[in-house]
Amino acid sequence: MLALDGIDLTIGDGEFVALVGPSGCGKSTLLRILAGLIEPSAGSAHVHGEEPQPARRSHAIGLVTQDPGLLPWRTVEGNVALPLEVTGASADILALLGRVGIADFAAYHPRELSGGMRQRVALARALAHGPQLLLMDEPFGSLDEFSREEMGLELLRIWERDRISVLFVTHSIREAVLLADRVLVMSPQPGRIVADLAITLDRPRSQELDQTSQFAELVLATRGAMGGRP
Amino acid sequence: MSDSPRSAPPGATPEFADLLESSEWVAAPSNGDRGLPRAGQIAGAVLPALVAATVALALWELSVRARDIKEYLVPAPTAVGRALLDDPSRFIEAGSVSLTHALGGLLIGTGAAFLLAVVMAHSRVLERALFPLAILVKVTPVVAVAPLFLIWFGFNAWPKLLVAGLITFFPMLVNAVTGLRTIDPSAYDFMLALDASKWQVFWKLRLPASLPYVLAALRISVPLSLIGAVVAEWFAADSGVGQIIVIANGDLDTPVLFAAVTMLALIGVTLTGAVAYIERRVLFWHESSSGV
Repeated sequence: MLALDGIDLTIGDGEFVALVGPSGCGKSTLLRILAGLIEPSAGSAHVHGEEPQPARRSHAIGLVTQDPGLLPWRTVEGNVALPLEVTGASADILALLGRVGIADFAAYHPRELSGGMRQRVALARALAHGPQLLLMDEPFGSLDEFSREEMGLELLRIWERDRISVLFVTHSIREAVLLADRVLVMSPQPGRIVADLAITLDRPRSQELDQTSQFAELVLATRGAMGGRP
Repeated sequence: MSDSPRSAPPGATPEFADLLESSEWVAAPSNGDRGLPRAGQIAGAVLPALVAATVALALWELSVRARDIKEYLVPAPTAVGRALLDDPSRFIEAGSVSLTHALGGLLIGTGAAFLLAVVMAHSRVLERALFPLAILVKVTPVVAVAPLFLIWFGFNAWPKLLVAGLITFFPMLVNAVTGLRTIDPSAYDFMLALDASKWQVFWKLRLPASLPYVLAALRISVPLSLIGAVVAEWFAADSGVGQIIVIANGDLDTPVLFAAVTMLALIGVTLTGAVAYIERRVLFWHESSSGV
């Protein structure tokens, strides 16, 4: 079976790209190919001029998944230290925790934290070794609506300082439009990119944006590209 | 989710393991102590068991006396106590020999099982090749191989250690293989995306993730190791509590038989308590240590 077909995707330096599409359209498969976790059966992908495997070996990638995948036996600080131990990189963990707003929770264990807090830890962990590309697979998908919006804007705040490239997979059109520079729309069976929409909204973005007509038009355009799917 | 890891449900009776545990805990301060005070907690946990045991012993004593049951059939608790106190050093020495056999066997059996589990967890082919052999070890009754070990290794500690090791092998093997495989796929993906080596995945992910399973296996294997040790001692009849049982059985010295059983029960309870204690200390992060 063909999972992905004719995908041609370029993410610019420091660009925030969102990938939307219905469930099962191959969004996650594409992300896993870029992360070097699976090999495409045909075609090639490049991350900062390297193929995913060499990119993976040079620790160019930071990964955040829907399930944060924290180590429950480690503290927050210990979890963020994991990529440093693996890659041999060094970073100021406490400063990093401060940037994602969880400096006071360094000594806590994951089970003592809320879902949103755990995703903050996962984000800090993904950034710790200084990746050039942040791959996020529905990172806020299991959060409630309120934490989800809050975390999205928080992510933007962090990203606006570092400006590393982000590929953000989501099934929420509103989330994609609110956060990204570009929204790519995927259709299923086989997964293809059917639209590439530039999101011209000003930065920094804020929650109030979704009241504007510009925002509404972009959401409608994206929905239209998905063939009227919600 | 925001509960501290060691919070007990309000009003719950603390388990013995709670009492063994020291007050300091790894992460957040425990709020399990907020309910009853410490002394009250101990009384609340120990008292019902103590009352039940006393009542049972008293009933036993009374019915033996009332119906004038012969001592070689069922000795009264006082007769068992007399047998124990008559020569306490005999039981303590035999008990410590059996304990050494059991723990030594446990170390050999579970250690070998864990090493094999590491190999099997990394290779499905090796798992398929070796698992039938492990089943063979499991389904062979230790009682059948104990005399064989005696012939092969003679009248020393080895047959006891090996029988105890053999009986503890399988529970550790199956649990450890499962534990080493049961890793969080998201954590695994994260490590793979960082090009973590198999070695790093093993130390930082597989090994800690397997601990709940390893300790559960230990909880099963500890009493088994005692069985294995005593069975082997029984066949060799040269040392340990098993020897006391063989001799007392031949003499129809039932009070001594009961005293030997009491000794084994004491060792068993202590070992099980020790495993529960270790489990609580090591697995503070695991779901099994929360609530009831």
